[in-house]
Amino acid sequence: MATQGAHDLDRLRRLATRIRLHAVRMVAIQGFGYLGQALSSAEIFAVLFGAGMVRFQHDRFVLSPGHYVISLYAVAAETGLLDASALASYGKDGSQLEAIGTERTPLLDLVCGSLGQGLSGAIGFAIASHLAGERRHTWAFLSDGEMEEGQVWEGAMFASHHRERMDPLTVVIDANNSQVDGPVTSVTTIEPLAEKWRSFGWRAVEVDGHDVEALSQALASRASGDAPLVVIARTETRGRLRSIPSDADGHFIKLDSQLERALLSELQAQLV
Amino acid sequence: MFDPPYPTVLKPYGQALLALARERKEIVCLGGDLTRQTETDFFRDLIPERFFNAGMAEANMIGIAGGLARAGHIVFVNTFGVFCTRRCYDQIAMSIAYPNLNVKIVGFMPGLSSPGGPSHQAIEDVALMRALPNMTVVEPADAVEIGQMVSAIADHPGPVYLRLKRGETPVIFGDDHALKLGKAQVLLRKLGGEVTVVAAGMMIPAALAAARTLGEAGVAATVVNSPTIKPLDAETILAAARGARIVVTAENHTIVGGLGSAVAEAIAEAGVSALLCRVGIADRFAESGSREFLFARYGLSTQSIINAAWNALGRTASAPRAPAIETPEGAYAPV
Repeated sequence: MATQGAHDLDRLRRLATRIRLHAVRMVAIQGFGYLGQALSSAEIFAVLFGAGMVRFQHDRFVLSPGHYVISLYAVAAETGLLDASALASYGKDGSQLEAIGTERTPLLDLVCGSLGQGLSGAIGFAIASHLAGERRHTWAFLSDGEMEEGQVWEGAMFASHHRERMDPLTVVIDANNSQVDGPVTSVTTIEPLAEKWRSFGWRAVEVDGHDVEALSQALASRASGDAPLVVIARTETRGRLRSIPSDADGHFIKLDSQLERALLSELQAQLV
Repeated sequence: MFDPPYPTVLKPYGQALLALARERKEIVCLGGDLTRQTETDFFRDLIPERFFNAGMAEANMIGIAGGLARAGHIVFVNTFGVFCTRRCYDQIAMSIAYPNLNVKIVGFMPGLSSPGGPSHQAIEDVALMRALPNMTVVEPADAVEIGQMVSAIADHPGPVYLRLKRGETPVIFGDDHALKLGKAQVLLRKLGGEVTVVAAGMMIPAALAAARTLGEAGVAATVVNSPTIKPLDAETILAAARGARIVVTAENHTIVGGLGSAVAEAIAEAGVSALLCRVGIADRFAESGSREFLFARYGLSTQSIINAAWNALGRTASAPRAPAIETPEGAYAPV
């Protein structure tokens, strides 16, 4: 894959900022929501959907942690897959844009709200593509907290063992060190992640998940080698934004009007 | 319909699945390290490209089945009943039942048919699966019904739990037997009798033998075979229950949440006044042992059904005894 030029990288950075802007506005309406997930994963979604990685309606895209669907809504509005005016209904009663993805969620091949299940579904897609000779690429977005679920490792083992019976599968992990009870590191030890995935037979690449160039390069390497690829994107739930207090609960950031104003002005300044 | 002892056949499910999968290329077979035990060795050997062994990892296997079904496959997932229900309940709920996918979960060794003790005895699998929206729950009684059931559930576009006896399978019904998904069937035409027995699966031979013994003692009894436990064929069961004084349900399962509960719901909601007796495992875990030992000890015998009906009728004389059935090697008879 061709190396991206400075112009492309700048476009992806601005796309990530606009994902964050949408997320702040969506969460502001209710006063709470999965803002930290959007802030940590903005560059990942910008690169997956803004750089032609996920070929919409050909590739399969699995969103394992359904809480991250806010990022999908935002990037879909930016790339024309979703009417931007629909974003205002995020998390509202009766809305199709539910705060945790469900079977009603548009655009996705599979979204899970119960964590640790997405990789298995993605493997099913990769087998089906292979059986049908369709050569689809299957993408599975995972989060680091759900590495605590044993099913993820059942899937990792299976995918490596059966890789010749599957079409290509790439996993991207938003490693934002956040789960409900606090930092993942305070709850249990899942590290060393890259070594774990390698020992399960995967090719593991670890990058700064807020660096669109590093993410692009890592994901572009998916075609090389016969082992499935996992990209571990190291991120922060504060999305490197100064406005968010350092003691904020990253899993469920509370957004008052003062913080909303500060975030909007900080993000808008990035677009100037 | 034959009389006991019944002749038996081996692996009717495995043969039926292989035959169907040869016709229908969208069928994929998943297993969890129990290939021969779940009769899928035929499939593995003859259609290897559509057979996947997921190993001892049921949660992952259920998730993979969901992905395959979303892509258009009919997926048969095969393992023991305990492992494909208890171990992966949230995965079944979220990856299969909620999205209403075309996955057939096949659980072997129902109830106390396993000698392996509580870890291997699926005594509440029907209750678990019945509670899930979109899930159809079926339990065929013999080799003829099993063969027909495989086609019937493949034709049904949605999730199914199929509960299957392992090993030698009795042949109870003749070739004229016609199973219909969602339909129960009156096996003994003695409507208007005092007792209606509703049963499924491995309890059908005992239900038939109990009805015969009760009849000989002057108590007319009807037997309803209900291979579809969910959705229950309330129409047929209510027709057989109306006018009866006693309805006895017989299940190789805990009396909580299974066929007995389903029948209780149906007759109570319809205002049927018959007294209900649930024959089954009395809300307890069992132990290791042979089928003969366990069925007798935990109340799944022909005599248990006779006693339940007899006592409910308020008969003061002692209950008639179920005759012992001489069972040659390779044949099958109720306990």
